[in-house]
Amino acid sequence: MTDAYRDFPPPIGVRTVRPSTFAQYRTLLARDLRQEFRTREMLSSMGIYAVLVLVIFGASFAQVAHEMDLLKISGGLIWALIVFTSLLGLNRSFSREREEGALEGVLLVPLDRSIIFLAKATANLLFLLTVELITLPLFFFLFLSGSEFPTTFWMILGPLGAGSVGIAGVGTLLATMTANTRGKDVLLAVLFIPLAWPLLYACVVATTAALLGPEAVEVSYLGPVVLALGYDVILIAVSWLLYDFVVSA
Amino acid sequence: MRGLRADIVLPVLLIVGTLLTALGFVLAFTTAPLVYGAEASEPALINGQWVTNRLLLSQKIFYFHMPVAVVSFAALTFTAIFGVLFLVRRDRIWDTRGRVATEVALVFIMMTMVSGELWERFEWGVWWTWEPRLTTYFILTLLVIGYFILRTAIDDPERRAVYASALGILAFIDAPISLMITRLVPSGVHPVIFRTDSGLSPDMLIPLLLSLAGFICIALALYRLRVREQLLRERLDVLQEMLED
Repeated sequence: MTDAYRDFPPPIGVRTVRPSTFAQYRTLLARDLRQEFRTREMLSSMGIYAVLVLVIFGASFAQVAHEMDLLKISGGLIWALIVFTSLLGLNRSFSREREEGALEGVLLVPLDRSIIFLAKATANLLFLLTVELITLPLFFFLFLSGSEFPTTFWMILGPLGAGSVGIAGVGTLLATMTANTRGKDVLLAVLFIPLAWPLLYACVVATTAALLGPEAVEVSYLGPVVLALGYDVILIAVSWLLYDFVVSA
Repeated sequence: MRGLRADIVLPVLLIVGTLLTALGFVLAFTTAPLVYGAEASEPALINGQWVTNRLLLSQKIFYFHMPVAVVSFAALTFTAIFGVLFLVRRDRIWDTRGRVATEVALVFIMMTMVSGELWERFEWGVWWTWEPRLTTYFILTLLVIGYFILRTAIDDPERRAVYASALGILAFIDAPISLMITRLVPSGVHPVIFRTDSGLSPDMLIPLLLSLAGFICIALALYRLRVREQLLRERLDVLQEMLED
């Protein structure tokens, strides 16, 4: 950014305002959010897809749902739901950029590429959290209305937050890569699921612990959440570093 | 032609590696003593045999399994290093090297997986279990396969090289996790091998180190031969294009 301003000084008498990094970030994020508010393309497709996954769950447990306590496996189900829904959203978020050529326009602006990453990842995170906000209550309503929730129930927010941040972070980098390839939908899943696996595992363990009650929380909650946060930090740091190369290629 | 004079020794290196590995195998079956199977919570009947109180011949797989696993991790380390070098220097040679290193890694990963499955069947009594080491290694396998799927899905060579380098670096995050997980999660049943008090007697250590040295030689020779082949092929392509013009 600084180079561009130094190499091409503005004409005398013209006052230029150099936007701060935060202003650039805000503008890019607002662009994504505005686009979404106008089309509601991603939220509606992710939301409907999530409901469809729930319907499939319903079919999967048709025979056993009344005789077993689904609460024990709900941690895993919730994360299966989140992973599949986020895959769909991540795919959409970049195919839109490519179809309209919007990303090229953004790349013409002399700004640090990592800001694009941050803005895009934040937008994806917000969409993911919104969809979770809608579908998780629906999940509990459809499958767990008969179950008794332990007092530690609220603690599922910890792994949900940590997991969503990681998914949005690494997913944004991978979606940028796969948007340019043949068979991008499959390829994103092929790369994303193994990379996010350790995060997913830690989140499922912590979520299940929170759903099972105080004893389980004592044994296996804090450790997995810390692991998930650590994996988040590593993944996002590496993605951030690599984003400049990937988005410019 | 870009290559090393020292490449003349490559066939020799391949033969030496084969001989060392073969020697390691022979010693593993002759001098190394039989060991007791992994301790299970209770004796289990597998194939009509009570495994906990028998000397296991299947343990011999270990002399093959652990060296190939170590080499696969080493090859993936080179994939990541070459990825960084490509992104910094933007020379196609690093992309070629990174790809060949990943190819070598895939060969050794497959050998690790196959030998691990056989071992597991007779030591633990199952073909597969979602144990931390196994699972992290399995996702590493998927990432390496994904690396090649990604490469074939991109036409532009420059872009392909950048993306492949980035993925090579990202995939490498999982390698130390897989390597360290037997220490991080002590409940796992996979034994910890790298430690000072590993309890390996010299009779066992010598065949292990021999086959490790052998596999390192084989991997190095395979890597260099393949890089040379790729460079020659690129040269041939350029020559063909020139002839057509």
